Amino acid sequence: MRTRLLAPILAIILLTCPAAGAADKKAIRLWQTETEPQTLAVLNHMAAEYEKTHPDVSIKIEGLAWGDLEKKLTAALAAGAPPDAAHGQPITCASFAAKGLLRPLDDLADAIGRDNLLDSFRNLCVRDGRFYGVGHSPASSVFVYRKDLLVQKGLKVPRSWDELIQVAEALKEVKDGQVARYGLTMTGQPLFVNIAVGELLKGNGGRLFDAEGRPTLTERPMIELLDFYKKLNRVLPPGWTGHSYLDTFANLATGKAAMLYQAYGRGVGYIEKYAPKDIADPEHFAVADKLVGPSGKTPAAQLDCEPWMVFKDAKGGTEAVDFLKFFFKDDNYIPYLHSVPIHLLPITKSTYKNPRYQDNATIRKWKSWVDMQERYFRNDWIKPVLVIDWDDMKKPYLLEVMGSGILVDMVLDSVKGMSSSDAAAKAQKRVEELLAQTGYLKK
Amino acid sequence: MHRRLSEPALGILGILPALLLIGALILYPVAYAVWLSLLDKHSFFPTERWVGLGNYLAIARDVEFWESLWRGVVYAASTTVLQLGLGVAAALVLHRSFHGRAAVRALVLFPYMIPTIVAVIVWRWLLNETYGLVDDTLLRWRLIREPIVWLGVDHIMSSLVAMSVWQFTPFVIVTVLARLQTIPPELHEAARVDGAGGWARFRHITLPQIRAVLFVVILLRGIWMFTKFDTVWLWGEGAGAGREIKTLPIYAYMRTFTYYQAGFGAALAVIMFLMLMAATAAYFRLFWREESAA
Repeated sequence: MRTRLLAPILAIILLTCPAAGAADKKAIRLWQTETEPQTLAVLNHMAAEYEKTHPDVSIKIEGLAWGDLEKKLTAALAAGAPPDAAHGQPITCASFAAKGLLRPLDDLADAIGRDNLLDSFRNLCVRDGRFYGVGHSPASSVFVYRKDLLVQKGLKVPRSWDELIQVAEALKEVKDGQVARYGLTMTGQPLFVNIAVGELLKGNGGRLFDAEGRPTLTERPMIELLDFYKKLNRVLPPGWTGHSYLDTFANLATGKAAMLYQAYGRGVGYIEKYAPKDIADPEHFAVADKLVGPSGKTPAAQLDCEPWMVFKDAKGGTEAVDFLKFFFKDDNYIPYLHSVPIHLLPITKSTYKNPRYQDNATIRKWKSWVDMQERYFRNDWIKPVLVIDWDDMKKPYLLEVMGSGILVDMVLDSVKGMSSSDAAAKAQKRVEELLAQTGYLKK
Repeated sequence: MHRRLSEPALGILGILPALLLIGALILYPVAYAVWLSLLDKHSFFPTERWVGLGNYLAIARDVEFWESLWRGVVYAASTTVLQLGLGVAAALVLHRSFHGRAAVRALVLFPYMIPTIVAVIVWRWLLNETYGLVDDTLLRWRLIREPIVWLGVDHIMSSLVAMSVWQFTPFVIVTVLARLQTIPPELHEAARVDGAGGWARFRHITLPQIRAVLFVVILLRGIWMFTKFDTVWLWGEGAGAGREIKTLPIYAYMRTFTYYQAGFGAALAVIMFLMLMAATAAYFRLFWREESAA
């Protein structure tokens, strides 16, 4: 009887042993926004390499769409189940740090070398002298135009808002009564409308908030911006409010549009894949300075650089930081950057200098695109979404303003026919109410 | 030796697991939402402040709430009416005998069986005004001169309604068809002998027979369309034009997860719940009154 029982018990123990071993592994979840298959492949390979030397840890990397990130992070936080580490917008990082949700990352910054981080982005998410976020890779939004088409039509590269409208109108092509090519394409995706409002307003010498933190949406630069949107609405494809960020890349690459105002280095991949081979180069798809508004002096662009954040209550916080140290080692970091070469630029000076990083055919071919982004870095013409001045990063409510969609509604009210001043006044009232409700602003 | 449990105690014991499940899965979340609606609570910041009916008063003054409510009513009413009309008509057709009926019956279920995300992606692709098949076909056939921007601010609601009707009408078809198959054929034969035409037979025989089913279908579809989240969210997601289809469930979600006002979001959910309860009660009352009159 005893031996008859012993055999199945032993079998069960033996069968469950490997499972118990796997269950003992500490799972570290990282959410990040680089979702292109080749980048995910690099990250998964990196995780596998890390696990080889850390058999007690299992790294789970999940790619999230950029536009969804904040919503999903918030839902996870509300449910009490955030990942161990995640990308976030710089304003998300600032907001989470202000709310005490993040673990300081001074150890990660020290491992990379604080002085080794590019000066412009070192303080991307620093609060009270402590690092709460380290950007994975900086990039700038860029203005792309079809150089060959401008030359054909004898047009100059636009430098101001008015010139952009004129050039867009001149580049529009109609065949057999139908539009064959639009002069300009822009996305109506809410996140990117927020981005556009921020960078266009800065390029027009405006601001979103005054020194006391009160919204300033009814000031002249914003009214001019909304007037500009009305003009843009006339030259953009009629469905632009429904066009996603990737739709606009497709429009440009396939020749459905001649200029793209909110492009990013990632667009090179789409051009090389979808544009005719004989024109898929920077001689045809050139970059130019962003435009300056009637009240502005210098151009402005949006910084695309999500800091890595580690959550304070994360069970695997220490392991997540250790994996991030591994991530920033050149052996791992360079393949990551090379997975989307013109979009993922190094945040570390040492990587910039590393010949292995520079030794990339795509970087050599599209150098003008990289140079343009670096020009914006150098001149400090680049800021995170809704940040006009670096001091805005101290405002912990930018995340709420962005998430509310009030600025998007303001733009759409304006393009749907509401007067710019009324649309701005309506948005001003809504932002004031939102900030009062959330306790950020006294009525 | 053992004392036998009394019959009522045994009964209570029997239904206890079900009661516990209902309490944990339905009553507790509802009660928690009501409690949350009385607080000013950030979605993830662990502090809260008692505001009593403050959230409800703010909602009463909130323009976005009234706009979202109106959009939700338009969406729910139009999709329910269209689903009902098309569903009953299709069920009547599929009830008739014709060659290939089994295949057609299986085919009409298809939209209801595919995952929402797949349906939305396919339809958004078909309706894209730049490379979509629908506009391209209409242009080729010279039915339109300019592409229609189905997903732009002007047409996003109508395209959402059309897509939702396509997706959910099979539910009505299947339910009504099941009831049609239980109507004794003698009733129709007797009416035909008495000289009743098609419309008269439908009005005086079919309609009264399927009345109870239609009652349930209208109730369920109305509630489900009013609270529909996934289809609406995915249809408008990633587009500024999405604000034109911001119905009440979407607005409640946004208040909770993008405005980070969990208390306000919960108050919206409670209001939605009360509205549906009131509408259902009124609907039942109307139905019973008509039943007793009949």
